[in-house]
Amino acid sequence: MNFSLFLTELWNARLSLLSGLGDTILISVASVILGSVLGVFVGLAMTYGAKWLRFIVRLYIDFLRGTPVFVLILACFYILSVVGLDLTAFQAGVLALTLFCSSHVGEIVRGALSAIPQGQTEAAKSVGLTFGQTFVYVLLPQALRQILPTWVNTATEIVKASTLLSIIGVVELLLATQQVISRTYLSLEFYLFAGFVYFLLNFVIEQAGRAVERRISIP
Amino acid sequence: MAFLKTLAVATVMTATAASALGTASAQETSKLQQVLDRGYLVLGTGSTNPPWHFVDSDNKLKGFDVDMGRLVAKALFGDPEKIEYVQQSGDARIPNLVTDKVDMACQFMTVTAERAQQIEFTIPYYREGVGLLLMANGDYADYDALKEGGDDVTVAVLQNVYAEEMVRAALPEAEVDQYDSVDLMYQALNSGRAQAAATDQSALRWFMVQNPDRYTDAGYAWNPQSYSCGVKPGDQRWLNFVNTVLHEGMTGVEFPFYAESFKTWFGEELETPKIGFPVEYK
Repeated sequence: MNFSLFLTELWNARLSLLSGLGDTILISVASVILGSVLGVFVGLAMTYGAKWLRFIVRLYIDFLRGTPVFVLILACFYILSVVGLDLTAFQAGVLALTLFCSSHVGEIVRGALSAIPQGQTEAAKSVGLTFGQTFVYVLLPQALRQILPTWVNTATEIVKASTLLSIIGVVELLLATQQVISRTYLSLEFYLFAGFVYFLLNFVIEQAGRAVERRISIP
Repeated sequence: MAFLKTLAVATVMTATAASALGTASAQETSKLQQVLDRGYLVLGTGSTNPPWHFVDSDNKLKGFDVDMGRLVAKALFGDPEKIEYVQQSGDARIPNLVTDKVDMACQFMTVTAERAQQIEFTIPYYREGVGLLLMANGDYADYDALKEGGDDVTVAVLQNVYAEEMVRAALPEAEVDQYDSVDLMYQALNSGRAQAAATDQSALRWFMVQNPDRYTDAGYAWNPQSYSCGVKPGDQRWLNFVNTVLHEGMTGVEFPFYAESFKTWFGEELETPKIGFPVEYK
């Protein structure tokens, strides 16, 4: 491994790698936020919905969790454009990851909510809280503690899955790295570097998750 | 149940209506007019294969495929920069054409009959083949010397199911060493573990452009294949236009543009097409 050559090429490629990293972060943040919001509704529908709604949402979750993310990305990019909805590669990729994230978050939320004893909801009702108030003031704070560790796990999965967007031509960190490799032939060095950056990203996410966990834990 | 049935019928009807609309509009206006109205060309190409299409250190997409797209943009708008690039993987070439994600694809696409059933090819703008790269100061000067060398010669080649068969077609007695990556293959040649490296003629020439005077071409190439751009089938006007542009690039008014690009990426000065009787009918 020629270290000084690698550093020179890394410096030359810094702008394209940084813009790739920016895209990776943007894709991940957008998908996790949108997917989590959608996922909370999915979880709520699974827990409190009418029977027909639960059935539909169950199909949605099982279908999305049972499909490889890769297939989901291709479907969002190609099938939607046949139907007439023409998304850019970036939009299609974020949509696919959002759907994938929502199915996971939905299942996490459902699990957390059903772990809270029924008595809590009944008590909230008896003091006159509406369903919305019950959810926000009684159930959600308790459920959050359950949700957080697995949610952080899902977020790191999304960061890793964002590499698959390179297939439909989104120049995120992996494709930006491959572009540098094709020019410099330093495959080992640059793949190691990309791996290290992905590790750093996920390490930061995990540490942030731990910090929040410590703050909200019941002493 | 009745609800589901209605839904199914409605979906089918919408889909049929949408596709009917699609064909109708395609018949009315050619892609040529659509691109002219839009003001820029959407070109599908890759970004990880020099000298065809790659991102240079100034973060710009360059290469011979990219130049073919620029030639078409120049013909459309008088400005080779009026292009929006869709950086696609090799697998995406045909799907992106068929689903109208790109106006045309120039991405070292080998013309095959199977592909021609799905898309329409333009006229070829390059003929690819396999060649042999030698060290300029090595023991073997050219192809004939390698052939006489028999089993003393080791040829480095990129790992591939057909790699051995491919090398044997040119050098029946030579030893074949397969490598996983291009850099290892060149390394084998540099270190003398192999006396020749068999690789695409274009890759070989590009490597020689980057390392002047270090290597030489053995002067024999085989396994011909044509590289063409592709367009969505069914739009003769657009196909004719792109064909005309490529044709005039190789033989007519835009020859300097084509030749300049050829020189940049393959290091070879092209001869000006003979004036008088058109060269293509010879």
